[in-house]
Amino acid sequence: MNIKKSILFNAKISFLVVVLFSSLIIYRIFILQFKEGNHWNKISENMNLSLLDIKANRGSILSDDRSILATSLPFYKVAFDPSIVSNSLFTKKIDSLSLLLSNFFNDRSKESYKSLIKKGKDSGKKYIILNRKRINYEEKEILSKWPIFNEGRLKGGVIFEKIEKRYRPFSKLGYRTIGSVDENYNGTVGLEYSFNNYLIGKDGKALYQKIAGNNWKPVFDGNEVNPENGYDVLTTININIQDIAETALLNGLVSNNAEYGCAIIMDVKSGEIKAISNLSRNSKGRYVELYNYAIGSQGSREPGSTFKLASMLALFEDSKLELIDTVDTGKGEYKFYTEIMKDHKEGGYGKITVKDVFEQSSNIGVAKLIEDHFKDSPSKFLKYINKFGLSKDLNFQMIGYGKPFIKNSNDSSWSKVSLPWMAHGYELKVTPLQTLSFYNAIANNGRFVKPLIVKKIIKANNVIEEFDTEVFEDKIASNKSIQKAKVLLEGVVERGTAKNINNSYYKIAGKTGTAKKVINGRYVNKYYTSFVGFFPSDKPQYSCIVVIDEPKNYRIYGSDVAAPVFREISDRILLTDYNVFNEFQKTEITNNNFPLIRSGFRNDLIDISNHFGISNHSNTDDDWVKTKVIDNSISWESNKSGINLIPNVIGMTYRDALYLLEKKGLKVNFSGSGRVKNQSILPGKNIKNYSTIHLSLR
Amino acid sequence: MIYRWILENIKGDRWIWFIALSLSILSLLVVYSATGSLAYQKMQGNTEYYLFKHFFLILLSFVAMWFTHKIDYKYFSQISKICLYACIPLLLFTWKFGLNINDASRWINIPILNQAFQPSDLAKLSLIVYLSSYLSKHQMNIQNIKETLIFPLIWISIICLLIALTNFSSSVLLFVTCIILLFISRVPIKYLSVLLISFVFAGSIAMFIGQRGQTVISRFENFIEKKEIPFQLKQAYIAVSTGGLFGKGPGKSNQKNFLPQSYSDFIYAIIIEEYGLLTGLFVLVLYLFLLYRGLVTLMKSERAFGGLLSAGLSFALVIQAIINMCVVVGLLPVTGLTLPLVSMGGTSQLFTGITLGIILSVSRYNEDENNNNLVYDKII
Repeated sequence: MNIKKSILFNAKISFLVVVLFSSLIIYRIFILQFKEGNHWNKISENMNLSLLDIKANRGSILSDDRSILATSLPFYKVAFDPSIVSNSLFTKKIDSLSLLLSNFFNDRSKESYKSLIKKGKDSGKKYIILNRKRINYEEKEILSKWPIFNEGRLKGGVIFEKIEKRYRPFSKLGYRTIGSVDENYNGTVGLEYSFNNYLIGKDGKALYQKIAGNNWKPVFDGNEVNPENGYDVLTTININIQDIAETALLNGLVSNNAEYGCAIIMDVKSGEIKAISNLSRNSKGRYVELYNYAIGSQGSREPGSTFKLASMLALFEDSKLELIDTVDTGKGEYKFYTEIMKDHKEGGYGKITVKDVFEQSSNIGVAKLIEDHFKDSPSKFLKYINKFGLSKDLNFQMIGYGKPFIKNSNDSSWSKVSLPWMAHGYELKVTPLQTLSFYNAIANNGRFVKPLIVKKIIKANNVIEEFDTEVFEDKIASNKSIQKAKVLLEGVVERGTAKNINNSYYKIAGKTGTAKKVINGRYVNKYYTSFVGFFPSDKPQYSCIVVIDEPKNYRIYGSDVAAPVFREISDRILLTDYNVFNEFQKTEITNNNFPLIRSGFRNDLIDISNHFGISNHSNTDDDWVKTKVIDNSISWESNKSGINLIPNVIGMTYRDALYLLEKKGLKVNFSGSGRVKNQSILPGKNIKNYSTIHLSLR
Repeated sequence: MIYRWILENIKGDRWIWFIALSLSILSLLVVYSATGSLAYQKMQGNTEYYLFKHFFLILLSFVAMWFTHKIDYKYFSQISKICLYACIPLLLFTWKFGLNINDASRWINIPILNQAFQPSDLAKLSLIVYLSSYLSKHQMNIQNIKETLIFPLIWISIICLLIALTNFSSSVLLFVTCIILLFISRVPIKYLSVLLISFVFAGSIAMFIGQRGQTVISRFENFIEKKEIPFQLKQAYIAVSTGGLFGKGPGKSNQKNFLPQSYSDFIYAIIIEEYGLLTGLFVLVLYLFLLYRGLVTLMKSERAFGGLLSAGLSFALVIQAIINMCVVVGLLPVTGLTLPLVSMGGTSQLFTGITLGIILSVSRYNEDENNNNLVYDKII
């Protein structure tokens, strides 16, 4: 046989072997289709596979120092299936269970619980909600040790339904600003709503298989799309200042028996909002956060006298008016065309200086000055108002903020009396935030900055988006005019309508406002009082507005109602030492046995913490983390080591430490049990110089 | 016009062109369907992205095939030797610093193109070309282990071992192909058995040094003990068994959602599910026909090198396909081998194109050199 023939022969043999294998494949396909066909069909039907969403964790809302204002934690709803509890067990233990339930929830009597459960049992119900209150993990553990419940889900009939709940460590503090979420975990109001797209994250998907008891078990076939957790929203809210504002406002509302009130505190230079508080009376007469009057469109009102500052500033800019010039305000009543304007003081102020007009808040004085100067060109006056930022859309970061309503001189509703009435804050509507922004610009030497409430969108330590202070107008008026305005504002507190809040420690500059309310188109003797200003006025740090609506205890003026609240806020921010803040207690979520977690694999630790209802957030994207405990929450910090360096395993479980060290090629031996207390080679040493490491556990 | 262009530019065995084209068209259809599954929802449901990417790679592999078949195959002998030397550092580099996908670093990134490729593909091709060239030159003295066989054996060991470090199944596939090539080249069976035994021994060492030891062992254990059919395989069985004779229809696969790697390693299951048992058989027959055409090329080849080259490469390709199908129907433990010409496989598809191009180049020169000087008998 020659070489070619021999080669061909061998090739044909190999070919035959391959053909043989192929026939085996065909055989297997036939077996699978025809012999085992039914079997696999049945399996396919019983597999009950389904693609389910994996909920992404909603991001947290953080305060300016990254304390958590709102975050997501697991809670449980307690339900009960009495039908599967055996009769003997039921009759024996129902009394003690009812008693425990009654003591725990503290809302119904033992008998009431007993009859609820018994009725359900007798009528064969399979699902009774025992209480709508959501309990946390620790409480769930306690409940599951109770009689009947301790028999578990299948014999004891207890059902703990896990519900992710938005948890606010500071409870109702700034509730309306922080906002809330609905049952689908979408924001409904406040920052939760406005920043929903950032917070919500992206749900993942994974294959789940249905198992007994209507539960789904993940298959983990390596194909799952991991959920992307939502971003955290870093706000400018300062918890201490927020608490101060809320406390002061509540005191003010209670002592004046008012309808609602709000307060905003803003950092002068940056426009960062440090606190927003809104309190209104609910149906039970208690003050709670129901609507964001400070910024929302329903809070847009006729401001009254606080608007006079804009009128004065316009005059300073457009004329040579000096503070010592005089105006005749007459006997307290003055007729502009068809309408009569009144001053607060019986009999009027007579002939007074411009300074007095402002300090005493003479309506006639301001209106006359404006009317005299701008009556031929009201649009010029409106141009100033616009330049001062009062008719500008603030483009605020929260959805639903109120836009200013200021008439145009060629509007059909414009009449001759519009100008004098606008001069003292009527026939126009602005929100407290708008007024505050204008006053803030005065404090900031004419620089109008846009109010800011969210500074950054972050994910762990990465900044996803940053919002900087935006300057709307670098100079709303000349230095000279600003200076005059400041003198006026200081005068109000030193000698004028707000002298009741004057003090010798620091200077406040501000203006009172008392506007009559319109009900059914007529001005009635109900008032909308406010005080807006900044402090300390020689070196302004914060600007603040306080609004109190419909005070009823015989005090009606901004000076008596709103100004004292302002003073309480500024006092506590500037004068009180920080110990006071510590009195403010957060709601405890753990019973003082904060668990010991020191370091380990981040995803595991997050799972564990979420499971136990411990608030936690990440400052890093790394897999391996150390912990830092801040108040009642845990922050995960990076615990990364260089490629060739010994990692830090102190505080880890032995399993985690072993994994990390052996992955780096080290031999590990150990003594003791528990977590790693000491490692024989210090972290950060070069790995190449060592081959064995000793861990002592404790 | 077009017919004339084809006649002038598409040379070599037309049947091979036909097989490649048919499988590629099927590939486009099935991959498009399979990438609609969960794994690819990662692209925000943009499955067209994968369709276009895959189409582009198929096109590219045809271009590679065309260019390769224009080259006189005698040059490949030289190129293969250079490539073989280059593969050693490349494979070592991959093992130590390669891209890690699914716990195995089989890929390295080409810096400028930013495209991951598997050096094992290159090594496989080079080794087979080198072996064909070497064995054809030494046909006279083929039985002498000391003088002749020692070099190919060394090369086989080095390359297979290096590949085994990161990709055990590819290494086995290459080894099996080499054994067949040696067998066809008339290397005595006794040497081949010794080689087989030493490979099993060396292979187990490589498994423990390399990254894949645990995976291979556990897969083997699962396969032999048959305790429980793994999830992936179960889904593949369901796909195969519910396909029926004619299939559920294009894009109608149900199992693509549950079957991991349905677009690559397990695409054969989806083919049967969507197009039925008959299409499955047709695909299998196409591969066997491809092998047959490779052997026809061997038969017609006047030069030993060309013949061995075409035989070795067609075996390499078809055995991989057969192993892949065996895995799908549960005849072999789960490997990571794709179905050549059909699976979505990135740069591997280019190497498949080049492989076919070389076979075509051999068949093209057979047609041209009917009366050539280098015949077998002259070597003797």
